[in-house]
Amino acid sequence: MAEEVYALDKNMKRRQQKRNLVAYSFIAPNFLGFAIFTLGPIILALIMSFMEWDGSNTMKFIGLQNFTEIFSDDRFLASLKNTIIYSIFTVPFTLVIALALAILLNQKIKGRNFFRTVAFFPYVASLVAVAAVWNMLFTPAKGGIMNQLLMNVFHVQPLKWAAASNTVMLTIILFSVWKNMGYYMVIYLAGLQGISEDLYEAAALDGANSWRKFIHITVPQLKPTTFFVTIMLTINCFKVYDIVYMLAGGSNGVVNKSAMVLVYYIYEEAFRNWKLGRASASALVLFAIVLTITIVQFRGEKNYAND
Amino acid sequence: MRRKLISSLLACSMIIASITGCGKTTTAEGSSSQEPAGSAAETGGEAGQAASGEPVNLKWALWDISSTVYYQPLIDAYTAEHPNVSIEMVDLGSTDYSTVLGTQLSGSGSDFDVVTIKDVPGYVTLVNKGALEPLDDLISKDGVDLSLYNGVTDQVKIDGKLYELPFRSDIWVLYYNKDIFDKAGVEYPTNDMTWDQYDALCRKVTDTTPGSEIYGSHYHTWRSTIQLDGILDGKNTIVDGNYDFTKPYYDMVLGQQKDGVCMDYALLKTQGLHYSAAFANGNVATMNMGSWFIATLIQKIKDGEFTDCTNWGMVKYPHAEGVEPGSTLSTITALAIPTTAPNKDVAWDFVKFVSGEKGAEVMAQTGNIPAMTNDKIVDIIAQMDGFPQDENSKEALVTSHTYLEMPANDKSSEIETVLNEQHDLIMNGEVSVDEAIKAMNEGVQAIIGK
Amino acid sequence: MRSKKNNKVIGSVIVYIILIFLALMMLVPFAWMISASLKFNKDVFVIPFEWISKEPRWKNYIDIWTKIPLAKFTLNTVKLTLIVTGLQLLTSSFAAYAFAKLQFKGKNVLFLAYVSTIAVPWQVYMVPQFMFMRKLGLADTHLAIIILQAFSAFGVFLMRQFYEGIPDSLCEAARIDGMSEYKIYSTIMLPLSKPALSTLIIFTFVNTWNDFLGPLIYLTTESKKTLQIGLKMFISQYSAEYGLIMAASVLSLIPVFVVFLSLQKYFVAGITTGSVKG
Repeated sequence: MAEEVYALDKNMKRRQQKRNLVAYSFIAPNFLGFAIFTLGPIILALIMSFMEWDGSNTMKFIGLQNFTEIFSDDRFLASLKNTIIYSIFTVPFTLVIALALAILLNQKIKGRNFFRTVAFFPYVASLVAVAAVWNMLFTPAKGGIMNQLLMNVFHVQPLKWAAASNTVMLTIILFSVWKNMGYYMVIYLAGLQGISEDLYEAAALDGANSWRKFIHITVPQLKPTTFFVTIMLTINCFKVYDIVYMLAGGSNGVVNKSAMVLVYYIYEEAFRNWKLGRASASALVLFAIVLTITIVQFRGEKNYAND
Repeated sequence: MRRKLISSLLACSMIIASITGCGKTTTAEGSSSQEPAGSAAETGGEAGQAASGEPVNLKWALWDISSTVYYQPLIDAYTAEHPNVSIEMVDLGSTDYSTVLGTQLSGSGSDFDVVTIKDVPGYVTLVNKGALEPLDDLISKDGVDLSLYNGVTDQVKIDGKLYELPFRSDIWVLYYNKDIFDKAGVEYPTNDMTWDQYDALCRKVTDTTPGSEIYGSHYHTWRSTIQLDGILDGKNTIVDGNYDFTKPYYDMVLGQQKDGVCMDYALLKTQGLHYSAAFANGNVATMNMGSWFIATLIQKIKDGEFTDCTNWGMVKYPHAEGVEPGSTLSTITALAIPTTAPNKDVAWDFVKFVSGEKGAEVMAQTGNIPAMTNDKIVDIIAQMDGFPQDENSKEALVTSHTYLEMPANDKSSEIETVLNEQHDLIMNGEVSVDEAIKAMNEGVQAIIGK
Repeated sequence: MRSKKNNKVIGSVIVYIILIFLALMMLVPFAWMISASLKFNKDVFVIPFEWISKEPRWKNYIDIWTKIPLAKFTLNTVKLTLIVTGLQLLTSSFAAYAFAKLQFKGKNVLFLAYVSTIAVPWQVYMVPQFMFMRKLGLADTHLAIIILQAFSAFGVFLMRQFYEGIPDSLCEAARIDGMSEYKIYSTIMLPLSKPALSTLIIFTFVNTWNDFLGPLIYLTTESKKTLQIGLKMFISQYSAEYGLIMAASVLSLIPVFVVFLSLQKYFVAGITTGSVKG
């Protein structure tokens, strides 16, 4: 009896082992390349946050000194604050607009491919061109289109947009939503194709209206896609860099505290001051934030799957 | 799983090994102070090798091959004397040059023999990284006369050691559009103007009629165009930690901005208007800018792109009351030898040549101001086709004192960050000049004090 | 009945108005690019912007080929993009299958490791990575760029999320029929994930095509450089030729649109009634 159980147990173990091996064989081709060339350097970079290193001289272990230094640097604190504000506004706005666009462009309408391409355009267009057009609309001069609109339609004072400390983040957020919504729209479009027509047909038979169909079929069915979009959006928001440099840096590349973001700070520490340890410490802070958000989301996704 | 884990650990350890390995070979002071002695000892042998005709290939890091006129002539001139040496140019791009060069020189695997140094903060970081060879022993051994560089080399010494030799030097001058002055019936600027006279002149030639504005002055968005005017009396430097001296200059420019004498900073910054385009527009009467703009102006006028500023001239920078005219800012471009260079001695020979007299002549013939200047060099430049024919413009190239835009200081890049930020705030009108100066004083003193 | 029809017409008119307005907003930068590509550099950033140049400089479109070896750069970029996209597609969809449809030890931890590394900015590990690659003799080779781009966590994450949306019952049924996992992947999952694969192709293509900093750091020999480095060559220390940059940018967008449009036909419902029931 005991032997039989043991044999069964062994059998199960062997089967699980085989299953593991099959799974690893699926992962291996990507993971090997990823582990050696990306994960390795990343782990090293994270270790570097406890070191002092300039890329050439010997690394020196300095404990938490990098962290105490960056947390007493107002440029870092400002960049952390700006990045969080930026992400809090950009993530939900972009998500909702991208989903709305995707649903709109998933209808059978004339010129669908044209409109899809056009929506994707700001994402692929040269950043210089997109920023130049943006700066024409949102110019700090009174004659700019947006300022004319503010003065004549809303009867409020014109704004200095990217040129003023209190409106620069607003300008960057609006710009970013506009530039990136097409990208996330494409992901949602692909997600929408995965929803079976049967579900909608069944709902229609039950007499559900479009709104109910959207809430009870589209939203839950898109959950994996939304998980992906939320995580990627959050990560990309926390990693925002070139948009800020383009809009707030302008012709002299000076980004001051009002628009400083984390990756800009990291870039400055790494390549202007060659303090790779401090850059890594800042990155570790960013990493911790994103990891927390991801784990929370991940839990949420699993709960949904278990429901 | 275990196997993956092992392989990823292996990967990590490989990386760590490769990096700590590099760490050892370049370990800061210890070896870098020994190495020059070693290479000096070898010099006899390898210099002999250069002369004996054994083929050597030098790798030279630089930027903008396609738009820089002097690289190939310099190489041709050198290889004509040393037929066994070939020189390979490696273009790292101008926009991210310092980042790319810094990465390339990290660790010990770089095979560059000569690197061009673009700016002082980039130079200082490379020196701090222990990536550059000190040149003092070589300089004294070969009897290079540093006095020919007009004192500039003293401003880039770090802890008494020199790690680069300049070959190009750009000074700041005041460009002006003669047509605008003729039309307004105002006399041209001169080589001897105080800042007050300059301010009055700019205001005189300004026209604020909407639609046909003439701007008396133009300041590009850089900090240098305003803040550094204050160091030209020689009493202050930009790395001292006290910036009270910048106040009159900010006041002057803010006043001009308010009265429409110059364009609005916020607009210039967001619109991304390049200073060359601003001057080419034909509505800017004067503009302070570096001498690198001479070559651009001549070329673009020749190409037919610039049509509204063809009648231009230049004069010396305005000066503070009681200071000799001809004091101005300068920027140098220099050559250095990485500690990892495979052919250090041939590299030094090349650096010496380019920064020396023969290199200077080649530079001047291509319309660029070499770091080593004299009357002959000024003559060569002024005779260039397209250079303004008036005597004042030629005279403008002669300087009395030059001050580097940023002297070498091991906190250069951090100081610059503070100064740039406050400059931006002042010019955007977000803080008063006094508040900004206070912030600059406190910020920089905190950095220096560290 | 009639009013319902009227409502529908009004509805679609509103939809079209919104769409056309959005399209205009999106197309203005494109118009700007074309307009700027036909100008002298000095006129590009001047306000008021002249949308239709009085003397269009078609010469910009010739100059870009002669001022820099643009043809060679384009060829390099095409080569890199094709290889990277191919590898990325293959390895990501393969690995994602395991993460979405198989049970194995360490799955969640490994997956979190994948996803969270996307959050680490490249600027931070660029230097150690470069030194490591150089030790392997990969500096200044196209192989380095391929390795860097082809095994990204992004692709695995994207594909895994789409596989999650495909009902597990499909796989279970196939397993009961005795199908091997490899067979399930190739005959059931791949055909069903065409929209996702298309998305991954588009994104990988765009990313590799537009990648700048990677090639800039790794590729130093002129003949190995890529299109985006070439574009930056028009920005020199003392002047920037935005007319030429825009001309080259307009041309470089064409392949991106060709890829985008040609993949649109796969953006149709992937799971059909038949396959779910079967």
